[in-house]
Amino acid sequence: MFDRFRNFVRGLATNWIGSLGVALTTAAFLIFVFVELLRILGVVTGSYSGLVTYLTLPALFILGLLLIPIGWRRYRIKAGRPTTELLRERFRPEMTEGRLFGAGVFQMVLLLTVVNLLFLGGGTARMLHFMEEPRFCGTACHDVMGPEWATYQASPHANVHCVDCHVGEGFAALVDSKINGLWQVVSRTFDLYERPIPTPVHQLRPARETCEQCHWPDKFYGDRIVNRTRYAFDAESTPAFTTLSMKVGSGKGERRGEIHWHVAENNAVRYASIEDKREKILWTEALQPDGSWRRFTNKRFANRPEPGDAVRTMDCVDCHNRATHIFEDPENAIDDRLQSGVIDPGLPWIKREAMAALTAGYADPAAADAGISNRIRGFYLRELPDVSIGMSREIDAAVASLQAAWRRNIHPGMNVGWGVHPDHLGHRGGRGCFRCHDSGMIDEQGTAISSECTLCHSILAYDSDRPFRFLAPADTTDAEYRMHVHLQDEFLGALEEK
Amino acid sequence: MIRTVVTTFLVLAVLLTASAVFADYPAADTVAGKCMTCHKEKSPGIYNQWFASSHGLNRVTCIDCHGADRRDVDAYEHEGAWIATLVTPKDCGECHEAEAKQVENSYHATAAEILESQDAYLAHAAGGHPVAVTGCENCHGCNVQIDPDASNKLAVTSWPNSGIGRLNPDGSKGSCTACHTRHSFSIAQARKPESCGKCHLGPDHPQKEIYEESKHGNAYFTHTDEMNIKATRWAVGIDYFAAPTCATCHQSATSTQKVTHDVGERISWTLRPPVSKKKDEWPRKRENMQEVCRNCHGEGFVKGHYYQYDALVQLYNQKFGIPATKIVNLIKEKGLLESPAAFSNDIDWEYWELWHHEGRRARHGAAMMGPDYTWWHGIYDVAFNFYFKFLPSADEFDDPEVKALVAEVRADPMHAWFNRPTADIKADIESGKLQEIYADLFASE
Repeated sequence: MFDRFRNFVRGLATNWIGSLGVALTTAAFLIFVFVELLRILGVVTGSYSGLVTYLTLPALFILGLLLIPIGWRRYRIKAGRPTTELLRERFRPEMTEGRLFGAGVFQMVLLLTVVNLLFLGGGTARMLHFMEEPRFCGTACHDVMGPEWATYQASPHANVHCVDCHVGEGFAALVDSKINGLWQVVSRTFDLYERPIPTPVHQLRPARETCEQCHWPDKFYGDRIVNRTRYAFDAESTPAFTTLSMKVGSGKGERRGEIHWHVAENNAVRYASIEDKREKILWTEALQPDGSWRRFTNKRFANRPEPGDAVRTMDCVDCHNRATHIFEDPENAIDDRLQSGVIDPGLPWIKREAMAALTAGYADPAAADAGISNRIRGFYLRELPDVSIGMSREIDAAVASLQAAWRRNIHPGMNVGWGVHPDHLGHRGGRGCFRCHDSGMIDEQGTAISSECTLCHSILAYDSDRPFRFLAPADTTDAEYRMHVHLQDEFLGALEEK
Repeated sequence: MIRTVVTTFLVLAVLLTASAVFADYPAADTVAGKCMTCHKEKSPGIYNQWFASSHGLNRVTCIDCHGADRRDVDAYEHEGAWIATLVTPKDCGECHEAEAKQVENSYHATAAEILESQDAYLAHAAGGHPVAVTGCENCHGCNVQIDPDASNKLAVTSWPNSGIGRLNPDGSKGSCTACHTRHSFSIAQARKPESCGKCHLGPDHPQKEIYEESKHGNAYFTHTDEMNIKATRWAVGIDYFAAPTCATCHQSATSTQKVTHDVGERISWTLRPPVSKKKDEWPRKRENMQEVCRNCHGEGFVKGHYYQYDALVQLYNQKFGIPATKIVNLIKEKGLLESPAAFSNDIDWEYWELWHHEGRRARHGAAMMGPDYTWWHGIYDVAFNFYFKFLPSADEFDDPEVKALVAEVRADPMHAWFNRPTADIKADIESGKLQEIYADLFASE
């Protein structure tokens, strides 16, 4: 059998084109089978192997197949004789004899075509599957997608595939994404892309089809306690605690004033912004029980023209715009690591020094690694030699943690620095809620949308000496006594309402 | 017995209930707490200044100062409370009664009356409205105008303004924040010379520069850390002794005097006008000041200083201020000025600078022991102006009466040196003859 195959293949190698075709096809096929075998056996695990196995090899295989008939055609034109004669000349007599199911050559072509089709089908399936894996999206052009890939891996959605949110289901979505992908290949090749890559606000699939697959709206979240620790820039990095009871509520919108009311079943809130970043809101309006819309207009943009097609109905991503690709604020990044103990708050002056080390400008990751290390280690060596020796392990950990924080958040090649992608959740990272909950956002009577603090959260500690400070009895000699009483009453009152 | 117990019990019960009903604490606490909650987030600078201040320590919060009666012209509704942006000495006086009263009677409180004066005329005519608003009125205070359409009810030309004589809509005068800057309302700040230096500087009243030149200023800048400046009681010689600041001499407590917010209580001369005069009740005021001096200086030192200081003021008055004023008044009476408007003729500006700039510098320099300001920035400039600008300008009117007056002035023994040989004058200086001309200026008290 092998002998027959070898003879057949030799027969096809009519000239250099044919030979090349045969070589490419055969080699691609054999390597593919070999690498797949290694992958199945677990020998190859690297994320790049897919690029070779599922993209390059099938392409070479097809190229080879195309070359074979081209080579045969040239051979025939050059020889100037009929095909039958040439076939007899190239192949052994038993291969060209007429039989019940056609000549041997014909049978061999038929057989190999079936094999090819099976191989291509399998290969295509494997290729599509591979392309749906996050590591393809994240690393295929890794300098471009670097920032998104780095933040995705550190996010709460790290186990959800990119395509689950970015590509829809069904054939049309598949075709769409492949066409889009082709354009990305072109823009990558000819350097036509923007830096940083803008958030794909228009291309994103609706939240109903994505987020709500897991976070279904009927789920009642109720009040959520959030504890934040802010460390001071003093020698002790003194912590100050803020405790918020977030009035998240449910998506059913049974009661106004809960945060998820915005996207509740029977409510609708829509808005127009003056730019794609959706940070400057022109007007916003809420659906009223009688079916009318109550509009609040931003008096700061009074003379801006109405953007005709940019009206948007709020869904998850209007607030959770950084649910996955979360770029940290440098101070939060440090405070979080201090709180979790990755950076030891017992290191003197660590908040101040870490902040300086992390936010200094570095040209690339290598420079950042060196700069952060020099700054932190240098500080303790120079200013606090005892600490430098006695807490060297903590210093090593702090340096490593800050270097990792820098690599996660900063990507100079893509112009991603601190604060490039503000988070709309809350109002500390960017303007967030205050984009609409602003005294400048007024209805026809001049009434502004409430921006009262306790509208969305009760405050149980506010840069206080301990979490849940305001649940304790108020101290009449405290400067914040009246605020303490007010916030305690508000929280207990809100509980009673429920 | 039982009746007494029951009656006492009932009376106590009624009292307790009444106090619970009438106590305004819960309501005030709630509103106050709401203000604090939002403003801690939205205006953290203000909040933290307040938090670290005596007001924070004593739980005087936003609403206690900014709370307004809804009938006030500058009141507006904000998050369910009636408030006013402007806090006036009347508001501060609710708690700081004595201080508000002292301010009300002080010369500082009249600062905005300048709006009717020559200074304001000059700023409006030669300058223009914007400079009157941003220049004059930011020290002197504006006449606060209400704008019903403004979100804070204050006309934008009236706010911000922390001028010390601000005319407020509630009829009160002044602004405590001129010295006790909001929102820390620090006593330490008001005690520092930098605070007064916000206005008391420049060519027409360089008190800050004179202080910096003086030994008082030298000592202060050397010992700024030893001034105990944040102490509640701040009596000179007792609570601190390293150096005096403006406040030490003009306002703060001594072993026998209380602190006063009436800044003229220790001032005996008015050095402001073209010709200096002693103030009403000047001997009492002078004694007040000398009592301050005596905490650090001996009797002879204090008397000596006033002897020299008085002579300098008299020198300015007699030699330059009085004759120049006489000449200008005659020119005006006779209608000799070419242009009708004030400050449209050379001599208007020359006379103005003579007394308002140069003459004041000399007098203030002597008052606060700044020798360079007394002479080179002071009398030297006065003399140059007088001999080479003012008198020649007066002569140019070519009026016999004016000429006669100018000649009379020039013939005065103090001015007669002008036409004598240098050698003779030098000889007179050496022999002390020239000094004798000025003997009357000393000890004029």
